[in-house]
Amino acid sequence: MICFLRRFARGVLDLLREIGDQNAYQRHLTAHHAVASGAEWRRFSDERFRARYQRAKCC
Amino acid sequence: MDILKRLMWVAISCGAALGLGAIALSRGEHINSLWLVLAAACSYLVGYRFYSSFIAARIMMLNDERATPAERLENGHDYVRTNKWIVFGHHFAAIAGPGPLVGPVLAAQFGYLPGTLWIIIGAVFGGAVQDFVILFASMRRDGKSLGQMARDEVGKVGGFVALITVLLIMIIILAVVGLVVVNALAGSPWGAFTIGATMPVALLMGVYLRYWRPGKVLEVSALGFVLIVLSVFGGQWVSTSSYAPLFTMTTMGVAIAIIIYGFFASALPVWLLLAPRDYLSTFVKLGVIVMLALGILVVHPDLQMPALTRFVDGTGPVFAGKIFPFCFITIACGAVSGFHALISSGTTPKMIERESHARAIGYGSMMLESFVAVMAMIAACAVDPGVYFAVNSPSGVVGQAGEAAVKTISGWGFPVTAAQMASLAHSVGEVTLFNRTGGAPSLALGMAHIFAKGGGGDALLGFWYHFAIMFEALFILTIIDAGTRVGRFMLQDLAGHVWEPLGRMSWMPGVIGTSAVIVGAWGYFLIQGVRDPNGGINSLWPLFGISNQLLAAIALSVGTTIILKMHGPKFMWVTCVPLAWLVIVTFSAGWQKIFSPLPRVGFLAQAAAFESAPHNSATATLIFNSYLDAVVCGVFMVLVAVVLVDSLRLWYGIIRGTEAGKVQEAPFVLSGLQSEQA
Repeated sequence: MICFLRRFARGVLDLLREIGDQNAYQRHLTAHHAVASGAEWRRFSDERFRARYQRAKCC
Repeated sequence: MDILKRLMWVAISCGAALGLGAIALSRGEHINSLWLVLAAACSYLVGYRFYSSFIAARIMMLNDERATPAERLENGHDYVRTNKWIVFGHHFAAIAGPGPLVGPVLAAQFGYLPGTLWIIIGAVFGGAVQDFVILFASMRRDGKSLGQMARDEVGKVGGFVALITVLLIMIIILAVVGLVVVNALAGSPWGAFTIGATMPVALLMGVYLRYWRPGKVLEVSALGFVLIVLSVFGGQWVSTSSYAPLFTMTTMGVAIAIIIYGFFASALPVWLLLAPRDYLSTFVKLGVIVMLALGILVVHPDLQMPALTRFVDGTGPVFAGKIFPFCFITIACGAVSGFHALISSGTTPKMIERESHARAIGYGSMMLESFVAVMAMIAACAVDPGVYFAVNSPSGVVGQAGEAAVKTISGWGFPVTAAQMASLAHSVGEVTLFNRTGGAPSLALGMAHIFAKGGGGDALLGFWYHFAIMFEALFILTIIDAGTRVGRFMLQDLAGHVWEPLGRMSWMPGVIGTSAVIVGAWGYFLIQGVRDPNGGINSLWPLFGISNQLLAAIALSVGTTIILKMHGPKFMWVTCVPLAWLVIVTFSAGWQKIFSPLPRVGFLAQAAAFESAPHNSATATLIFNSYLDAVVCGVFMVLVAVVLVDSLRLWYGIIRGTEAGKVQEAPFVLSGLQSEQA
């Protein structure tokens, strides 16, 4: 049971990190062999937001 | 084991039948909300287990050996292989907006039965099928959008019509959700302060995330959440302080504030306001939905609303029109929503790791959204019906003064007193709850009662009410600023063909000009809704419902074309049946909205009624608005009729063998995932 709850909590946290773009940022750092920094986050988020906010949001 | 499984599915099927039977056959006594939960949950399980697996296996022939776009085109940005349940959550967060919450609350005027049945049946056989088919089609076409697929599979006309329909829907939806917020915040210093405070909170989050703690989205969202909860408490203090008049705004005042907000939010850098608010509202939305589900299970309130009300005859105060077709366009999101097709052909198909995951993500997410709509129906119907109608009826129908309104509403057979309304308003920290059309306040009341019974009791009713209003307004405002920005991009894209500088995203005059046009367009409809003596929702919500369902008709036409090309006419019925239903419903509703001789239903009759009133500038505007609404409704119907005729021509040709029925899928590439995992 505890194992299940731990797995569930990890899954929820992973979902929140995905929705919050933190996982995508990690993937970006890995793909570009970069380290986390203010400039790198700004580069990543500018590109991501540009793509995201060109699409309609659902009602 | 096999027998046990079979027995389990027999039990679930019996649960669905029992639940549906209980809600359909109970008359004259209050039923418990758990019957709706049982009917919905068991129907979804049966639909998912049997119908979606039939579609996946026999029609789509999902194949895990076939590499998905996320595998073939992986680039670390859009195309990323992602865990099934994470994509599920992501997709659900993207499709669940205010529609499944507000639509059922408005449709509750017919009673709980028609809306609930439509939500459950519509989702299982229509909405989820549409989402699943479009997701599958997009996944097999490298993540193409609905417009691109319509152009490739149906013809050039389809793609262009889809683009124009989306732009028009955006304008109507921004106006209608803006109106929901207007009616929730007008005359409410507590609500206005709370929502006003979310803007500096979002700005602070934006600066924090960009410069102080870059990349710490969860951290900054937790901080933002604490601050907005504090702002709810702050709003309570403001409402009883000498600052209250400062935050007490008229409906027109709130509308103008939202229009100004929409303009600036669309032109400001996205990282400053829009993105941090979007993160926060998504987390709050998911959290509140989970809280509401737990609250309903724990509190399981009795439904106070009857199964069917007298307003099935079309004389309803919330919006006019008979149960058919208006119940089916009032609840769009939650049953069938064309807008979902844009999400299913957007980010989601580019993240799917294996083809089989599309079933849980496409069909399953819609089941969950439909369940959210059932919860909204429960929250609305758990409120005393007299209170529900007093809150949701516009002054033009029941009168401005409380005494007049309660007399009218009690005369309908839903007893309510002015003292009861005053006491309720006082307990939630409002001056009045009369004439708050739009659904948000009555939903907030229902949610507040459920949350308060779950914890805190009546002492916290005011907090929960304003927490619910904050939750609704937060993500509606996110839709307004994101939608305005998207509308601006679409307009710049079109205008760039006329004069190239207008298409440049970095040219400030172009950005400001196109933002102003989009804000002006939805702002016009919003002001129209505020001025409408019938409450605005009466004209704008049906327009939104019709347009959204017509977009679903385009999506289902594309789906039918693809199924026809894959299998011939054998399985066409899967998408053709919901398509036929939507065409009947939306064209009936559209026709009635234009040509009905009843002024509260038909736009032309409404214009004629205004023309017979004394002439002044206000009536001239109302007459113009009625004609404008009739034209917009007519344009939607003509655009979709064009796509339908184009599709029918193509289907006839394919069946007769005179048209090529070639499927435009990306070529098969063997997935490397199995060998990778081995």
